[in-house]
Amino acid sequence: MAAAVDQRNHQLTYLDVDRTAQRVMAPAGLKYWLWVAFCAFLVAVGGSFWTRQVYEGLGVTGYGQPTLWAVYITDFVFWVGIAHSGTLISAVLFLFRTRWRTAVYRCAETMTVFAVLTAGLFPIVHLGRPWFFYWLCPYPNERYLQPDFRSPLTWDFFAISTYLTTSTLFLAMGLIPDIANQRDISTGWRKKFYTTLACGWQGTDGQWRNFSMAYLLLAGFATPLVLSVHSVVSWDFATMQTPGMHSTIFAPYFVAGAIFSGCALVLTLIIPMRKMLHIQDLVTIWHLDSLSKVVLLTSLVITYSYSTEFFMVWYAQDPIEMMTFHQRLFGLQGYLFGGMVLCNCLIPLLLFSPSIRTNTIYLFIISIFVNIGMWLERFVLISGSLSTATIPSQWKFYVPKATEVFITIGAFGWFLMNFSLFAKFLPIVSMTELKEGVGWLRKSARNSYPYRKAA
Amino acid sequence: MSGDIEVVGVFSSDLECAHAIEQLHHTPNRGFHTFAPFPSEHMAEATDEAREWGRSPVRKFVLAGGITGAITALVMTVGTSWEWNLNTGGRPIASITPYIVIIFEMMILFGVLGAVTSFFFKSGLPSFEPATGYRTRFGADRFGLVVRAAESDGAKIEALMREAGAEEVVREAA
Repeated sequence: MAAAVDQRNHQLTYLDVDRTAQRVMAPAGLKYWLWVAFCAFLVAVGGSFWTRQVYEGLGVTGYGQPTLWAVYITDFVFWVGIAHSGTLISAVLFLFRTRWRTAVYRCAETMTVFAVLTAGLFPIVHLGRPWFFYWLCPYPNERYLQPDFRSPLTWDFFAISTYLTTSTLFLAMGLIPDIANQRDISTGWRKKFYTTLACGWQGTDGQWRNFSMAYLLLAGFATPLVLSVHSVVSWDFATMQTPGMHSTIFAPYFVAGAIFSGCALVLTLIIPMRKMLHIQDLVTIWHLDSLSKVVLLTSLVITYSYSTEFFMVWYAQDPIEMMTFHQRLFGLQGYLFGGMVLCNCLIPLLLFSPSIRTNTIYLFIISIFVNIGMWLERFVLISGSLSTATIPSQWKFYVPKATEVFITIGAFGWFLMNFSLFAKFLPIVSMTELKEGVGWLRKSARNSYPYRKAA
Repeated sequence: MSGDIEVVGVFSSDLECAHAIEQLHHTPNRGFHTFAPFPSEHMAEATDEAREWGRSPVRKFVLAGGITGAITALVMTVGTSWEWNLNTGGRPIASITPYIVIIFEMMILFGVLGAVTSFFFKSGLPSFEPATGYRTRFGADRFGLVVRAAESDGAKIEALMREAGAEEVVREAA
């Protein structure tokens, strides 16, 4: 099957790219709308639990001393992390001229935007009085409510809002030539819709010249931004004195973790998508193989970071830190740490095998494990560290209640609903960049592992 | 100019179109523009050489945006700290080191806004008037070269395009 797909890639033309992308955007069937309705239902369930929380207060959650940061902040870090791989694939790999990104980058960048939108909900959900969230914005007032710019939470506000703006503009700019292509072949309301969004793009030499420069510079800005945003998120924790969090390794460790979880989620989304939307010609096994190598590499970086974190605690011999890490390993919630190591460090080692990397079912299962593992990592780090902080008499393990669980599920529904709607109405694969690399794609398909194996 | 015509050449390959652009200086013409479904390096090089274009002006707007963002953030953080001075543990009222994060983020934000704004501004977008010679195929799988010339020179340009490999050459009123 894989070899057959790769065979087809040898004859891939510009029109094939267009036809495949247009097939994805064809009017949706009942199954698609049922799926969107199911996602909307999850959003409604999460929304109703949040409404109850707003009315009755945070007491309806499992929150309480000493664990006042738990599932919501875990969700926030998880979704911000998910967003990062999109920027890595779309911007960082663009600067390195990595060709395999062309087929998956639009999907990853879309994921970035919706993941940041999802992440942005959680600091608000986490607030007891969410209607005052705007107090984070700096605006002149007479109540001494000017935000403290020394606070990592204020840094977070600036970092996340900049990241959301940059990612959205980066995605929107890349979409313009593809939307113009859709405008030229559509009819009815779609033609009006795409005509408005295309802004009159015609692909003249002057337009491409400015586009290429602006796109390059946006990629150049997005690259340090992606490193800074998750570093800033990590400083929310690392600047605290809480044992288990107060560590200088957090920034690089969080960035690597973000790329790891994000690439895994790209696999989770794109594997079923390429089958359901019939885009195997554009997103080939070779693309998935390349992406899974990034997952494997970042898994090794994560494993190294976990080891370094434990080594530093052992080397410093600080008794309170030692106790926190002992609890993390062997405490009442030690099984969560075990699960995290299994999912993030051991299972991804299977990706060393080329036959697993080129098997979509195995890849999909591994990517699900990585997603679970990375959520657990953030939970263990946040909730675990706060549960067993400095004074043992105050130790109390946090257990989430239905409110947090359903709001978390609702967030997944929100993300998947937005992503599914985008994929149906806007080009989820970049036709422009795929056409640019058609010749190269043919060549690499010939050299890919599945094809060589079949040959 | 009255009496001018536009010769539209349709090419199936960007290399052929680039070759036609390179040959244009052998013919009397009053300007040209091209269409492509993706940013072709060959066509960009040929066009830049033919027009003696430097690099896109977008980068200047980006630089200006970045500098504006950094200065705005510096003024905002330091200025408002002095205005609402809150002594926390004897630390300086305006602590530059933690403000670097805000300055960095706003530099990026304004630089990005500069890039996108200047891209639209310099590319003449949004514009809902189609450029002359545009065909819907230029967004899909064909490359276009539109040359403006006096009617008497039209035949030379048509011959040049055919020689370069154009699969279709059409003459239109300018």
